[in-house]
Amino acid sequence: MSDNRIEGYARGLFEIARAEGTLDTVENELYRFARAYEGNDALRKALTDDLIPPAKRQAIVEDLLGGKADSTTTQLISMVIGAGRGRDLPKIVDSLVKRASTVKHQEFAEVRTAVALTADQHKRLEAALVKATGKQVNLKVVVDPSVLGGVVATVGDTVIDGSVRTRIEQLKSRL
Amino acid sequence: MSVLGIIAGRFTGGLAGTAGRIMAEEEIHLDENGEVITHHWLLPETAEIIYGGIASLLIFAALWKFAGPAIKKAMAARTERIQKELDAAAADTAMAAEEAAEIRRAKGDIESEKARILSEARAQAEAVLADGRARLAQEVAELEAKAVADIAGAEGRVGDELRAEIASLSAAAVDHVVSGSLDDATHQELIESFIKTVGASA
Repeated sequence: MSDNRIEGYARGLFEIARAEGTLDTVENELYRFARAYEGNDALRKALTDDLIPPAKRQAIVEDLLGGKADSTTTQLISMVIGAGRGRDLPKIVDSLVKRASTVKHQEFAEVRTAVALTADQHKRLEAALVKATGKQVNLKVVVDPSVLGGVVATVGDTVIDGSVRTRIEQLKSRL
Repeated sequence: MSVLGIIAGRFTGGLAGTAGRIMAEEEIHLDENGEVITHHWLLPETAEIIYGGIASLLIFAALWKFAGPAIKKAMAARTERIQKELDAAAADTAMAAEEAAEIRRAKGDIESEKARILSEARAQAEAVLADGRARLAQEVAELEAKAVADIAGAEGRVGDELRAEIASLSAAAVDHVVSGSLDDATHQELIESFIKTVGASA
């Protein structure tokens, strides 16, 4: 899909979420879903299979997210999948998050951890990143078991890597 | 006196004698069989010798006078012909000697050419042999060098592969050990450490 079309979908989703007044929640949920969607081959294959009718693919989304995510989030994902744009969902969501960050005058920051952060850790980490970068950040946390342990934070073009995975890679490199 | 003179003398003497005897009515002696008896069975009478000698001289003179030039001419022609034949033979001999010398020289040239060709062939064979030996030695040296380089490369590759394998196994072991040893407390400790480090880096 062309960049213009991805931007168009992102803008549409953004405007709907903002109109619903659930931008922060929807943005977070879409981001987490996009990362899970990227890491799950079976889910991705099911939601991008053109042989499966759109209604059935939307039903899968609703089964997965129903009751666990905001209804707006579920409906937006269902709409993208039903439109046959499942392959571009991660890019659409990334574009939406960047747009939301820009609107909120924040720098998009992605944090990957092996285990979920507590609310307190989330708050302190956000404050630490604000302090470190000197910018307000729109923090998105992704639970990524491949990190093994520690945290990898990406703020704009800056990467702060404190993961066990990276230390093991460095050890491999030395070996 | 020549035989011819004797015969001529005898003939002329006989005729003269008979004529003399007839003319002088010389006494003739006969044997009991009526045959004339001479004073000698071979030699004629003295007068006969004189007449015969004179006749012979006349014949010789006539021969000298009339046949001499022709005989001399024939003899000169014969001498000239023989001389020509001798000259031709000498010329042929000289030519043959020259041809023989030419043949000997040619033979000598052939021998020397043969020797030269053989010498050149030997020299070329030596050169080819030396070149072949040199090339062979060079190829052997190159093959040895390549073999040494291949062995060194193979050793290096094996070493690298071994190191990579050890590293891979070690990394897998580290992954396994680390992931197995990371409990929740350690995760929390790592996250807190990260937050503290990032916060302190401002």
